[in-house]
Amino acid sequence: MQPEKFYYDNKIVRNFGIATVIWGIIGMLVGLIVAIQLYHPAANMGNQYTTFGRIRPLHTNAVIFAFVGNAIFMGVYYSLQRLLKARMFSDILSKIHFWGWQLIIVSAVITLPLGLTTSHEYAELEWPIDIAITLIWVVFGINMFGTIFKRRERHLYVAIWFYIATFVTIAVLHIVNSFELPVSAFKSYMVYAGVQDALVQWWYGHNAVAFFLTTPYLGMMYYFLPKMANRPIYSYKLSILHFWALIFIYIWAGPHHLLYTTLPGWAQSLGVAFSVMLIAPSWGGMINGLLTLRGAWDKVRDDVVLKFMVVGLTAYGMATFEGPMLSLKQVNAIAHFTDWIIAHVHVGALGWNGFLTFAILYWLIPRIYKTELYSKKLASFHFWIGTLGILFYAIPMYWAGFTQGLMLKEFTPEGILKYSSFLETTLRIIPMHVMRSVGGSLYLLGVIVMGYNLAKTMLAGKLVANEAAQAMPLEPVHTITPELSWHRRLERKPIKMMLAALVVILIGTFIELMPTLTISSNVPTIASVKPYTPLELQGRDIYIREGCSNCHSQTIRPFRSETERYGEYSKAGEFVYDHPFLWGSKRTGPDLAREGGKYGNAWHYNHLMDPRLMSPGSIMPNYDWLISQTLDTSLTAAKINAMRTLGVPYPAGYDKTANRDLDKQAGVIADDLAKNHMKVMKNKEIIAIIAYLQRLGTDIKASKTANNN
Amino acid sequence: MNLKKILILTPLLLVMQPVLAADDNEAPSNLMNVIGYGAILFTLLLFVVVLLVLLRAVRVMTRVALKSQGYTEEQIAAELHPPKKAKRSKEEVWNKLLSLKPLSQEKDLIMEHEYDGIQELDNPTPSWFMGLFYTTIAFAACYLLIYHVFGIGQLQYDEYKTEVAQAEIAKKEYLSKAANQVDENTVKLTKDPAVLAAGQVIFVSKCAPCHGDHAQGNVGPNLTDDYWLHGNKINDLFKTIKYGVLAKGMPTWEKQLSPKDIADVANYVKSLHGSHPAGAKEPQGINEPEESNKLAAK
Repeated sequence: MQPEKFYYDNKIVRNFGIATVIWGIIGMLVGLIVAIQLYHPAANMGNQYTTFGRIRPLHTNAVIFAFVGNAIFMGVYYSLQRLLKARMFSDILSKIHFWGWQLIIVSAVITLPLGLTTSHEYAELEWPIDIAITLIWVVFGINMFGTIFKRRERHLYVAIWFYIATFVTIAVLHIVNSFELPVSAFKSYMVYAGVQDALVQWWYGHNAVAFFLTTPYLGMMYYFLPKMANRPIYSYKLSILHFWALIFIYIWAGPHHLLYTTLPGWAQSLGVAFSVMLIAPSWGGMINGLLTLRGAWDKVRDDVVLKFMVVGLTAYGMATFEGPMLSLKQVNAIAHFTDWIIAHVHVGALGWNGFLTFAILYWLIPRIYKTELYSKKLASFHFWIGTLGILFYAIPMYWAGFTQGLMLKEFTPEGILKYSSFLETTLRIIPMHVMRSVGGSLYLLGVIVMGYNLAKTMLAGKLVANEAAQAMPLEPVHTITPELSWHRRLERKPIKMMLAALVVILIGTFIELMPTLTISSNVPTIASVKPYTPLELQGRDIYIREGCSNCHSQTIRPFRSETERYGEYSKAGEFVYDHPFLWGSKRTGPDLAREGGKYGNAWHYNHLMDPRLMSPGSIMPNYDWLISQTLDTSLTAAKINAMRTLGVPYPAGYDKTANRDLDKQAGVIADDLAKNHMKVMKNKEIIAIIAYLQRLGTDIKASKTANNN
Repeated sequence: MNLKKILILTPLLLVMQPVLAADDNEAPSNLMNVIGYGAILFTLLLFVVVLLVLLRAVRVMTRVALKSQGYTEEQIAAELHPPKKAKRSKEEVWNKLLSLKPLSQEKDLIMEHEYDGIQELDNPTPSWFMGLFYTTIAFAACYLLIYHVFGIGQLQYDEYKTEVAQAEIAKKEYLSKAANQVDENTVKLTKDPAVLAAGQVIFVSKCAPCHGDHAQGNVGPNLTDDYWLHGNKINDLFKTIKYGVLAKGMPTWEKQLSPKDIADVANYVKSLHGSHPAGAKEPQGINEPEESNKLAAK
């Protein structure tokens, strides 16, 4: 047999590489802006489109799906071709994949600041974009499997197992978490409500971390690290064990994001138990990486690329140990909703994803440009300033999270909350937030220096768009000797491997999701809980649009410190009409689950106009545009109908009279405000959001008002 | 030397134990406990002493026995202090700990396949790693059993009940000692400057946003005029602050302010009556001129 000649497509790799750097800088810059807004609210530039609630999702989406996403495709397109000894299946599909993905990102950059959001974290994009993502993901899948089918290598290397698991699991996660009922071109309601919606969201959210930020990166680590260090992979057996254990166990761990909420106890406990079991499978990847460097540690001293890899792997090890610890209820009780979690995810994002991406870029760009890196010194500078940036970011955030978490739980001997005003705890940690933005700036500076360094490298060399290679074609199947090990046999069967991965991840999915979604006893109903009025529903949509849930939770945990601060703990039955749920995951401000009736309408009016009028020192931005903007009631009927479709018991035909009720309720609030000399038309948005805030948690609130009149 | 120290310290400790105990506790049960601990400690120390004495005795006897067999002094010394085994190199210990094979044996471990030049070794999964994995699995199993099969662990709502009940007991105990028990029925009007100063601090942080810096009224009503919505007696004020008037936007403060705090701030508000601040809000409520009006105006 003659060796076959073929060409690797380097151009697509280069394109994804450039996109990685550009979106990385943009995503981190937006991150810096939102970080500054947390101690200097005026950094929103007085503009609704650049206010925290709207651009915090832009930051998370940009760094996860644009920066890391493009980096994944860069790494996969480079390594897949070489591991399979074949060019990508179709250049056209590669191009559609690239440009489609960039278009999706651009549409996110446009829609998120406009407030078009589903409010599901890391899945904020509205339904038309969800469909586009699905299509592009399928294109990626066809391109990947097409390449696998025409491979010149019989067995699939461990990196490809991880790519396959990534592809199939992300597809399942994205589809299940995007069941939305469209109301208009850019507005939809989640099909699930309340606690069910929360479980689906965090099953998705946690596994987006697992299968977007972890498994593809492990796959890339398995290709690039041995190439960089020129060392064999430490243990094939460990690869097999930790791959299957990781994907099987990860999928169960989502409920640890919902500890002490109204999620059924058994689901919470499963989340905790499986999170603890995740330590070893996660560490398997780190160990296999670090031990691959055995005998090459002298190279780490000189080679900046390996330095990035080692710090990246170490950060991965730390984050995956910390995660299970945070899942323990006793730790979670303090850490959840605080900056501790922000520190935790950034150790993973900046250390593991960031540093691995940088290492791969520094290694790969000179290779496909047939040249040397422009400046090793600048790369070394990037490594040190990046490491420093991570430390300056993480340490203040751990400190802040710990401080605030404990302050919020502290009681005086008289049995009164020591810091009864939430704001006191916010003000205490502001210096930490300043420090954090310094750390973030250092890290961003490093990335910009990298961009310059890589651009110079590209200009000095010339892209080898089609890199010549040759390999023997695969021998006919009947001529090969049968394998003894079952896993070696599986490595020859890509479709079987994909199905096996699918089955493995569906086990946990079904056991956790199905009972909560179908058995009604898991969500006890409460008779006094009624659907929102049309005005409240519109107000709720404004709450979603402004991204209030990025800073305010709506779930009171059964702790004395929370029931004393916020009122009775939340019940599952209170959320049955909440499409989507709005529990939030971070308390930058206080919980709002029982905000209704706590203050007067006038207080809310003043507070939304300028929070510092009612809460001196508050870091909440002004929402003065709610006073000037007119509420769009043209969709009220469609919204009521959509809710009816989803099972919310509005009477038949209510859509026709809904706006009349809306008007009436708005009039009552406007009159009340007028009594307090606040002249505002009843058709303004602020009326709707006040109506919603005044409704929150009141359905089961016992009236303790002393009525002296 | 050490032996002597221990021998001297033991009786000393024994003498001190009851003295220390007597200082802290009067309750006889506690005293009995301390005596018990002391006895256990004494027994353990005695045990150590006996062991040390025995060791010494064995050494002396060995020496005597060896001498009688004709050993020289050097031979005896060598017999008693055999040279220690050479320490294993650091690397060796490290490799053993991580169950790593030496790099020199690596070529035997290389598997026959390779992918784009990447080779794989046939190393076993490290035993400590498997240990860690099995431990976490055991932990997870025990966790589920404890909370959901044996019912030993408290789930969140039971945990909450326990937490609140314990806090109630602690609070009652504290309040029974502290003179802090004030409510809307027992609160007294006072002009004590200390009370007013404490009330002012609370007023500025909690009340001023709605009622204005000088109680002139803002979102909330003016508190310095003769007009009152919910009564003008100190008891009325206490009640309004404590429970709030939710319908009109006055929050409940009983969760945020202690009874003493509420009394202080209520008294401070009373002290502001008739102060005629600038920008006063128009009157709201019923005209209730006070008997002490003239007094306050002065």
